[in-house]
Amino acid sequence: MSAALSLRGGTALACTGLAAAACVPMFGNAYATTFVFTILIAYILAQSWDWIAGEMGYVNLGHYCFYGIGAYAFSIALVAKYPVLLALLFCVAFTAIVAMLLSFPLFRLKGDYFAFATLALLPLAEILAYNLSDITKGGDGISLPPQSVLSIAYWGALGVCVVAAYLTVWLNRQHFGYALKSIRNDEEVAEVMGIRIFPVKLRVTVLSASFAALAGALQSWQLSYVDPPTVFGLNVALVPVAMALLGGSGLLWGPIIGVLLLACMQQWLLINLKTLQTTIYGAVILLIGRFMPGGILRAPWIRRLPWLHALTREHHERIDSSTTHAAVQGHLPLPKRSIHREQPVLQCQGLTMAFGGNIAVNQIDLRLMQGEIIGLIGANGSGKTTLFNCISKVYEPRSGSLSLDGTSLIGLRRDEVAHLGVGRTYQIPRPFGDLTVQENIAIPLMFKHQGLAPREALARAREFIAYVDLEPHLTERADSLSLQQKKALEFARALASEPKLLLVDEVASGLTPIEINRFVRHIRHVRDEFGITVIWVEHIFSALAQVVDRVIVLEQGQCIADGSLQSVIADERVLRTYLGSAAQLPNAGSTHA
Amino acid sequence: MLSLNQIAVDHGALRALWEVSLEVRTGECVGLLGANGAGKSTTMGAIIGLYPLAAGNMTYAGITHTGRSTSENVAAGIALVPEGRRLFTQMSVRDNLVMGAYTPSARQAVEQSLEKIYALFPILKDKQQQFAGELSGGQQQMVAIGRALMSQPKLLLLDEPFIGVAPLLVDEIIVALRTIGQQGVTMLLVEQNIHRALSFVQRAYVIENGRTVLDGEAAQLLAHPEFSKKFLGLE
Amino acid sequence: MPIEVLIQVLIGGVLLGGLYALVAFGLSLIYGVVRILNFAHGTLLAVGGVAASLAYAAWQWHPVWLILALIPIFVVFGWLFYRGLLQPLEKRNHFESTVGTVLVTVGALLMLSDLTAKLAGPTQKNIPLRFESFEIGEIIISMSQVWILAGIALLTIAMHFFLRRTWFGNAIRAVTQDSVGAQICGVHSSRMKAATFAFGSAIVAVAAVLYTLSFPVDPYMGFGLTVKAFTIIILGGIGNLLGALLAGLFLGVAEGMTGLFWKPEWAPAISVILLLLILVAFPNGFRIGKRQ
Repeated sequence: MSAALSLRGGTALACTGLAAAACVPMFGNAYATTFVFTILIAYILAQSWDWIAGEMGYVNLGHYCFYGIGAYAFSIALVAKYPVLLALLFCVAFTAIVAMLLSFPLFRLKGDYFAFATLALLPLAEILAYNLSDITKGGDGISLPPQSVLSIAYWGALGVCVVAAYLTVWLNRQHFGYALKSIRNDEEVAEVMGIRIFPVKLRVTVLSASFAALAGALQSWQLSYVDPPTVFGLNVALVPVAMALLGGSGLLWGPIIGVLLLACMQQWLLINLKTLQTTIYGAVILLIGRFMPGGILRAPWIRRLPWLHALTREHHERIDSSTTHAAVQGHLPLPKRSIHREQPVLQCQGLTMAFGGNIAVNQIDLRLMQGEIIGLIGANGSGKTTLFNCISKVYEPRSGSLSLDGTSLIGLRRDEVAHLGVGRTYQIPRPFGDLTVQENIAIPLMFKHQGLAPREALARAREFIAYVDLEPHLTERADSLSLQQKKALEFARALASEPKLLLVDEVASGLTPIEINRFVRHIRHVRDEFGITVIWVEHIFSALAQVVDRVIVLEQGQCIADGSLQSVIADERVLRTYLGSAAQLPNAGSTHA
Repeated sequence: MLSLNQIAVDHGALRALWEVSLEVRTGECVGLLGANGAGKSTTMGAIIGLYPLAAGNMTYAGITHTGRSTSENVAAGIALVPEGRRLFTQMSVRDNLVMGAYTPSARQAVEQSLEKIYALFPILKDKQQQFAGELSGGQQQMVAIGRALMSQPKLLLLDEPFIGVAPLLVDEIIVALRTIGQQGVTMLLVEQNIHRALSFVQRAYVIENGRTVLDGEAAQLLAHPEFSKKFLGLE
Repeated sequence: MPIEVLIQVLIGGVLLGGLYALVAFGLSLIYGVVRILNFAHGTLLAVGGVAASLAYAAWQWHPVWLILALIPIFVVFGWLFYRGLLQPLEKRNHFESTVGTVLVTVGALLMLSDLTAKLAGPTQKNIPLRFESFEIGEIIISMSQVWILAGIALLTIAMHFFLRRTWFGNAIRAVTQDSVGAQICGVHSSRMKAATFAFGSAIVAVAAVLYTLSFPVDPYMGFGLTVKAFTIIILGGIGNLLGALLAGLFLGVAEGMTGLFWKPEWAPAISVILLLLILVAFPNGFRIGKRQ
């Protein structure tokens, strides 16, 4: 209720602001209009930057270079006497192509390496602008035919701003937005859940670069001038980034608030300070980094102010509530597969994976039949998790063959393997931390083969959540759950990816006997009901004993035993290597009898 | 020598240890057992000062050492053979060992300590110029133990020292650890393989979900019905 | 083209490349230990170079004295910079500490270059200390070039032994490879980071004087140098001294050749283009920067 109210409050605030901004050129003087115009341009830049940083978690410091490229492309087209609309179209298309080409090398990097390489684009662009003087007129810059276009450029910028803000809201409800968010949280898991990563990165970069290009075009049109330092200079390039971060990256209102605050301060400095402006910018950027890299809207004292609370809401507090109230049917919406016991699901031969001199998985041969439940045991470091990582293609095996339902998995990407029907959990749970429980489950439903629409996926996720008894935590952030709840969440998320083969990694450790029994029932149920084949890594034998058809024992990356739990436990080699040297212990035999 | 009194440790927002209490007397060899994720490695890390305590306190050699930094603890005679070995893979075996003697007091006796370790694990002497990352799992574990011994510790914390070690080398390492114990080094051992652990230690504590739930003499524990039920999971 | 010109350019390229490598050493040591890419690293060289040229103009100090005077200032600056501005960010979550360190170092870069330009003027400066030169055939080599090359070689060798033979040097290597492993050896983590920041800055002080002896410096050239040092690290590997030296020489010579065979104004673009090409050509080869 209060969420709905504050949502309406935010919309009202936005509409009022928009109406006021729309009236500026009609009533305000040229100075005021120019000032608001720079704010609009800064918002376009800050918001489009935040699609990559706030939504996807990649800090692109070279964003301004798309602004510059857009400005140049537009100016060149305009000087060549093309109509304005055509020039705008050209500038967007050209910048989008450049952004696309740059994505290939840049997204090989992560973290601060990515930040650095993108920042290095600015000096490169500046050199290009200076040196390609036949096209760019070098250091002289390009002068456009002098026209008074302030009002038109202003309306244009306002329009682009509205589209950018609307896109931000809209994106958050789309497949694409969820793909961005899961990449931000954990790229590897996102891929294992069936999201093909690179096209997402490519699309968001092109989108964000196109908006920056529009901003550049409008600004150069209004100034009727463009030269290298004003569009590629280091001191101007980071201002939009600082604005978005000052407000609060990843928050809907963050870029707007940041732009307003910093633009007003900048204007004040421009009037009151004649020298050392870059030093002051530098100091402001430094102080934001030092004291509030999370943004002013995340500061505790701001969050406590009632009339500002609506602006500070994180993504998970803005979820549309209609999907959380759908009725739960009480059965899992999974396809029912009949079990043919004589059909192999997973086959691997001579599978080997090594890290340096350390062979983690050594020549493993496996043959899993449909509907089998396999217990995988072995001491820590014996290669169980590495084997899982090979099957889900987190690692590309060094040698050997691996196939699922007769399709070879060698050379396939993680998302392709997920679509073929491999689902998994992690030994240390890796849910998408800042998404809600419901969204965590909905993501594999959205990105499976022929995925569901987000709204439908969110509604269907309820069934899986009810199945693992996480209903009370539906709208909580996944990183606020306890370890046991996270394990339950991961199990449900793996089921939601509609696997043929489910890899379960130590889901029962740390659970009470009652909870363990429930997991055992779940594993048996999904096999009996939906024909899912399961490999279960577990140390708790009593749990395995209730459900597994056979047990495989790994030691030093090799398979040393394969058979029923009873026969494996009786195997002397297993006893010696896994349970300890029986010879050293007089009473060891009695414990295991 | 070491006592933990109801310590708690948080990893970010999650509490990893709730209430762990244990005591190790001088010259003893004590085991710390429990399932994966029960909090054994976190306990070891807390003892040496890698993780700050959220509650409780620790004393070492009669002095409260809650909140002391890792380097102070190492200087005071605690050494850790960590989970996953944590070797400097691109440095030679010798340089890895020498790094173990980083604390000022241990620097005086680098050469003697090195000789001791080469006597304990002769293979390391042959491989001393090789990169640590090129060794087999068992040899890497020897380097990790050797590195910890280089600081001339009074208390040696061993976190799963047999992971990824070939069976033949396991016996060799056990023999070496016995020798170390006979030289008067107190030991606290985390080990998955309970029978191997209980054949080696005199007493053991069992941790479950970040709490100490059982303790006793090795033989006593094995006979304890609660122990085999809880820990072995075999009924 | 006469072979003499080629050799002359080659010598210039080697000289410049060696200086780039010195800048990269510091950046790479700091990144290895502190895991922060210091965007202001090259700017320190620009500031140091300007300061050295002013000091030389005022008092005609010998370059060795200039170096000795600059080192303590840079050490204190590096130490304070880390302790005061960067260390507090380590407590924050991953995204916030990443953007926080980026903003702090970029802010420092803007402030340093702008303040230097205000105080000393934005013009190019150098140390007009001229040694005599000698000729081998048509090739003219000045003694200052020889001294600088000797300085670079000496510093590289000294660094090599420093990293292998001293406790501090070994600790730098150890922390770079496994910081937890180093901690349990008794290396004090935050003290070590501050010391490395100070040490990396001290190397820049030496490089600054050597650079200003043969090439002009200006307050705004710093970021270009940082970009080159970054390319060198990607090429040569983190904490790899020899790799960095070879990569630096390659880059210096490549820039010289670009000027010779094409146009000098394109030389500064080489490093960024090289960086992008490496990233396209070796998608799996250069694995640094990915989370382990």
